[in-house]
Amino acid sequence: MARIQLENVKKAFGKVQALDGITIDVKDKEFFVLFGPAGAGKTTILNCIAGIAMPEEGVVKFGDEVMNLTDPAHRNVAMVFENYALYPQMTVYDNMASALRSKLYKASEEEIAERIQWAAKTMKMENLLERLPSQLSNGQKQRVAMGRALVRTPNVFLMDEPLAHLDAKLRNSMRTELKEMQANLGSTCIYVTHDFMEAMALGDRIAIINKGKIVQIGTGDEIYYMPCNEFTAQLMGEPQINIFEATVAATNDGFDAKINVCGEEITLALPKDDNVYSKIKEQGMVRCDIGIRPQNVKYSFEPKEGYFKSTVYSYESIGNKSVIVAECGDYQLRMIAPNGLNVEIDSDVYIKLEMDHIILFDFESKEYIVRYDEASFIALAASKEEE
Amino acid sequence: MKTGKQRALYVLQNFLLIVYAIFALFPLIWMVLITFKSDTEVFTTTFLFHPTLANYQEVLLRSNYARYILDSVIVSGGAVLVSVIVGVPAAYALARYNFPRKEELAFQILSYKFAPEILVVLPLFMIYQKIGLYDSYVGLIWVYQLISLPLLIWVVRGYFEDISVEIEYAAQVDGYSWYQIFFKMLVPLIKPGLVSSALLAFIFAWNSFTFPLILSSNKVYPVTVAIMKYLGTDSAHYGQLAVASTVSALPAVIFALCIQKHLVRGLSFGAVKG
Amino acid sequence: MTAKNNSNGRSELNKVPFSTRVRPYLIVAPSLIITIGIMVPFAMAIWYSLTNYSFKLPTHKFIGISNWVSMLGDPAFWGAVKISLMYGVISTVLEMLIGLGVAILLNNLNNGLSKVLRVLLVFPLMIAPVTATIVWQLMLNSSVGIVEKLLNIFGVYNFPWAAAPGTAMLTVIIIDVWINTAFIILLVLAGLQSLPKSPFESALIDGGSAWFNFTNLTLPMLKPSLYIALLFRFMAALQEYAIIFALTKGGPGNALMSLSLTAYQKGFKFQKFGAAIPFILVLWLIINIAAKRIVNLQRTAQKQAAGLEE
Repeated sequence: MARIQLENVKKAFGKVQALDGITIDVKDKEFFVLFGPAGAGKTTILNCIAGIAMPEEGVVKFGDEVMNLTDPAHRNVAMVFENYALYPQMTVYDNMASALRSKLYKASEEEIAERIQWAAKTMKMENLLERLPSQLSNGQKQRVAMGRALVRTPNVFLMDEPLAHLDAKLRNSMRTELKEMQANLGSTCIYVTHDFMEAMALGDRIAIINKGKIVQIGTGDEIYYMPCNEFTAQLMGEPQINIFEATVAATNDGFDAKINVCGEEITLALPKDDNVYSKIKEQGMVRCDIGIRPQNVKYSFEPKEGYFKSTVYSYESIGNKSVIVAECGDYQLRMIAPNGLNVEIDSDVYIKLEMDHIILFDFESKEYIVRYDEASFIALAASKEEE
Repeated sequence: MKTGKQRALYVLQNFLLIVYAIFALFPLIWMVLITFKSDTEVFTTTFLFHPTLANYQEVLLRSNYARYILDSVIVSGGAVLVSVIVGVPAAYALARYNFPRKEELAFQILSYKFAPEILVVLPLFMIYQKIGLYDSYVGLIWVYQLISLPLLIWVVRGYFEDISVEIEYAAQVDGYSWYQIFFKMLVPLIKPGLVSSALLAFIFAWNSFTFPLILSSNKVYPVTVAIMKYLGTDSAHYGQLAVASTVSALPAVIFALCIQKHLVRGLSFGAVKG
Repeated sequence: MTAKNNSNGRSELNKVPFSTRVRPYLIVAPSLIITIGIMVPFAMAIWYSLTNYSFKLPTHKFIGISNWVSMLGDPAFWGAVKISLMYGVISTVLEMLIGLGVAILLNNLNNGLSKVLRVLLVFPLMIAPVTATIVWQLMLNSSVGIVEKLLNIFGVYNFPWAAAPGTAMLTVIIIDVWINTAFIILLVLAGLQSLPKSPFESALIDGGSAWFNFTNLTLPMLKPSLYIALLFRFMAALQEYAIIFALTKGGPGNALMSLSLTAYQKGFKFQKFGAAIPFILVLWLIINIAAKRIVNLQRTAQKQAAGLEE
């Protein structure tokens, strides 16, 4: 087990800059999640750590040791590949035993059998051990790929979307299992995913990656509540955060935000929050982007005090709840609603934004400026980190 | 549940297949029949004749046939062996690595197979005489590479292209060196393509006529050239020729029967990526 | 502390190890050395085509392009080109059609007959073309051959086969088809058996006719294999030498004097080495142009087939 560090790692494939100065510091025994859209460079980061890819610039360190010139075999990492990479000519058992039969990581056959039994049990695949990879479904292959990594005691586990091909039920139970296992094994784990729920549930810390760069590193709460820019805010959360433009105007005792709803200007008072007010004053803010999570958007189908009018664009179930999308002209507003409502498309809906939950972003740079109740979220993040 | 139309189609298909099989197999049967005929009966009889083993005795016991066969085995077997040893790594490189002008190089290697034999053989005849490779095993094994190497490289390359590169990465991470990965992981995966292309290469090398005809004479005497001896100057011994030919087909036949399982599947050239 | 490593661009730590960098070249090298070694004569051949080289003369001298000029003025040359092309095209087309048909039959009929024939039908390949030709000669013998007796039943007597200029081409092509169709069958069957199953399963659900499935699924996905078979076969047929040599040595008359045969005759029989080479270089040129074209078609078909598989 080891602390894993990347310092200013750069890697290009032809003209494409896959990694553009990645610096991360994964603590020993940490569960570190790499989260970002497809093509962001997440897999390339794992490859650089494993030694499969050679960075053109920068340093890869395990503990205090610089690993750049160490070949993959000698790095003692266990990796779960996104497309499984099982050896087609070997049974599941032999696939899992492969590392422990190599010269470098040799174990006795009894020990191998023991560890495989344990891993197979954990991954719920004891009945698959004698099969060939070609006889497995994608979900089963993925579990074998996981099992092949788990039998080892490596410096670090590298997992590339290891749950992506499992069905929803199994994915949930595996997620729990993984978290528990990681705590027990006390192992460092770097985990790639594009699933927001997985990132939040598993990661001690999350690194948001986009276009080969680190956008933000922090605990799940930190990133969720204080995203460093609009990109991160949109990435974290399902359904996606609402972001729209506003102009800020001073009033007698505070500030108003004016937003445009279908061509009509709606004025919303910004509730008093010393921190927010001081940031607005400091910047002499005139325009900004407002971000608000769907759960903080309230709706009514009858006109109501403090609600503004819009029309329903769509109403769709996302499992145990539904999302109403309202048309507001240049943008749309998503809000959470229960399932089974009788909502007609294009009918009127009245909306209220809970302004004491909003996040303010810079209008030009789209960077985070401030959010309501910031201090308590900073405290929350700090307490999590200490755990 | 077959309808009448399906049944008719089934019968028709079998019929067509049998017609082709007769065309393809009858000459072979004919050849085997001739082996049991005396020289006079070759021209006077068809199916009814007095079977004799004289041809077999003449060829197998009283001529140098065993030596010719041995020469063929050494030359063809050696050629295939060399092709496998140098061709498999080359196929791997052409499938895996990206280097400048790779496709041109691959085509170049392939085009050796298509170089007219006569074109190569005329100048080679003189070179071989000068450098002492004329009428030698090494000389023939070398020139046979034109027959066996391109075929092998192209079939095996298709196989390597079908193996996902992540499998190699996984094996590296599992603690294996490149050489271990190559021999323990990759070679078993390309085996079907390797054995069937090796068989084809062996057959083509075994049957090669032009190369040994021009590049060897007495010391190395492969069976294809030797067979022509039975057509002799005094009289043509067709029965002996048939024996020589039939027996010389046996190694390839046995080889083919042994690898039956891989034979067809192995030549797919990785046509459609799996 | 590692910053100074990074500050001056690529440090020692980021260099791909030497052994990894040279590996591709190292492992292609043996094949290249062997094949290039064989290709030295090829370069020499081009040089000899510009000389009056002959085994009979003690020395040879440069005579410019006169070998080439006299070849182009030689009616036998144009005849040879025609014969090589005719032989190559007709035999390859027949072999491709029959081979494809038989392979499909073998693949469709999953019965005992087809299983046995899958192995047996390869056997003609294993007889040396020269001896195969002689066996055919015996069968076709115009007085006592078995084929003659068969034809007699239909009232045809003394069919001349290889003895007449008009039927000599037909005869060699039949023999070529007999030997080499097996090769096509092998490759096409291999292609058929490696076709992915899922497109056919979905076609089954869509309920397309057998013919529709064949032209829209089987054929496009089989194309890469067909092109490979075509490539190997056509290139070999263009330069076929052994069968013609064994059957008639190019006769009767000039009926089968292809480029290969002409070159052999000029080079060895008439000992005019320098004059023989241009014939064979022209053949090589034809083959190379055709091969390049087919390889490109094959690569395109392969990409399309990979797309169909989705």
